[in-house]
Amino acid sequence: MLLLRGILSLAILSCGLVIVARMLESAREGGFTILPGVVLGAAMIALGMHRLALIWRARGSP
Amino acid sequence: MSQSAKPELRRSVTPWGSFSWGYSDVGADIFVGLGLVLAWAAGASNVAFLFAGIVYVCIGLAYTELAATYPVAGGGQYFVMRGLGDIFGFIAGWAVLLDFTIDVTLFAWVSVDYSSQLLPMLVNSIHPWTHFGVVLGLVVGLCILNVVGVRESTAFNGVVSALDVISETCILCFGFLFAFRPHLLIHTMQVNWPSPYQLMLGTSLAIISFVGLESISQAAQETQRPASIIPRTSVSLILTILIFALAYSNLALGLQPWHPILDAHGHAQQFWQIFPNNADNQGKAVALLSAQIPYYGAFAALYVPVLGAVLVLISSNSGVFGSSRIAYAMSSSNLLPSIFQRVHSRFRTPAVSIVFFSTVAVIELLFAAAPSLYPHVAALYGRFFHGENGLEFLADLYAFGAATSYSFVFLGLIGLRLTDPLSPRKFKIPLNVPFRFRGERVEFPIIGVIGFVGIVSILLFTLRTHALGRIFGPSWLLLGLIMYLIYRNHRRLPLLRSQRRDWRSAQTEILRRAGELELMDEYVANLKASDQRRAARQG
Repeated sequence: MLLLRGILSLAILSCGLVIVARMLESAREGGFTILPGVVLGAAMIALGMHRLALIWRARGSP
Repeated sequence: MSQSAKPELRRSVTPWGSFSWGYSDVGADIFVGLGLVLAWAAGASNVAFLFAGIVYVCIGLAYTELAATYPVAGGGQYFVMRGLGDIFGFIAGWAVLLDFTIDVTLFAWVSVDYSSQLLPMLVNSIHPWTHFGVVLGLVVGLCILNVVGVRESTAFNGVVSALDVISETCILCFGFLFAFRPHLLIHTMQVNWPSPYQLMLGTSLAIISFVGLESISQAAQETQRPASIIPRTSVSLILTILIFALAYSNLALGLQPWHPILDAHGHAQQFWQIFPNNADNQGKAVALLSAQIPYYGAFAALYVPVLGAVLVLISSNSGVFGSSRIAYAMSSSNLLPSIFQRVHSRFRTPAVSIVFFSTVAVIELLFAAAPSLYPHVAALYGRFFHGENGLEFLADLYAFGAATSYSFVFLGLIGLRLTDPLSPRKFKIPLNVPFRFRGERVEFPIIGVIGFVGIVSILLFTLRTHALGRIFGPSWLLLGLIMYLIYRNHRRLPLLRSQRRDWRSAQTEILRRAGELELMDEYVANLKASDQRRAARQG
């Protein structure tokens, strides 16, 4: 179960990274309009990292 | 009955139960908010959600800290009462009660709108009396169910929440993979940027997608060791809701529809353009969006209306249940008459509160439905209130109640940081400035100030742009305030000042009941050390 949750968390984190990268790619054309997309990606990275931290803590506890 | 014999809520909610409790409340809001925001904020809908979302993150963090430190069911009104005093606690609680009553009507209304996607006889613009009758039936039905003591179980909430998270994830994954065009998003934002007035209106409506954080504190009282569990689940909840709101709004603006969407003249239009001036579409935005997702949309068109209707109906039920619980807590603190504590002799439920606030919800429904039922009322609304429709009327009040209560919660957070620095805070909002206040080391929350400025600006947007909200919202507060002063005068309690309370004993008891014995010991040690420091200073 922990492994599955870990894979899902990594997937969320990776999606966030891809979204941020794609939005930054369009920065020159879009200007400030990319901001909501960048925040969306950042929120996904934060959620992925938060879930991974919880799993890490759960692994450490008996 | 002695204090120790008082019945307590069983603390049996698991981490997933705590998450799903919050999710079924807040997660349903995007089903309501998306269409309204797209209708008004047009090409800047994602920016409206971004602004409201940032404020919401601050609110969520504030609720998480407060609920983990003071795990009681009173929620916002309790934190404000404790931090700022009785009268402000009343105002915050009364604003929350407005939100809960609106929650009942608004979500019952939207539940019928989602059902109308599969049952055309429920479409409001074509069959307004049927729509009104079904919404009224749902509100009355939920009231009766709550009086007799039947409410959805945490397990049911958990199943529906899990199904919804999976469903929304699938919609968004398929949507971003097959239908999202980043260049279309940028083009839409650049070409269809709204006027400042529309952007303010859209932003104030976007906050309704993030209402329901009271559920965090309600869950806290029924969770074992809430100081540890609540921060874990709340952070996941806050981020999940934010991600869904931002993802939906970005997808809606950059969506290449699966099937061409034609206007009345047969011209192709973008997806978001089906929402302005169409109240029927505004009430079922997620169902309409999911149906436009390539491949998955064929399946989603069948189940998303049902899932949406069920999810928002659960949220509507939480309005009936939550209002009675908040009224009970306010009555226990002498902020409302004791009649709101009265329980039904047979069903053991706070029947008076449930019936009273359900009646308020029905009155709100009458105001919301009147323009669609009677053309001359529609003309009156058109003349004085910018022609608001029923959904917008309810959303106006919902935004007003939420912005008001959240503003006070931020002030309560800051007040409690200053007046109660000794309570152990297992979760603390980041970014704090330490200094000494009345001989104690306190930490001033910068994010609390940022959140307060954000939510007050949303409150000002609401008052500026919502013709009905700026009349009915303050009227509700004024009416409540008059009732409060009459009641306090009748009971010979201080009118503007607070009743004397022993917060130290109360806090120790709260931590003991929550099973947070280590925190309780830490709190008692903090109190002792503080008393010794004070004695040394005076000596």
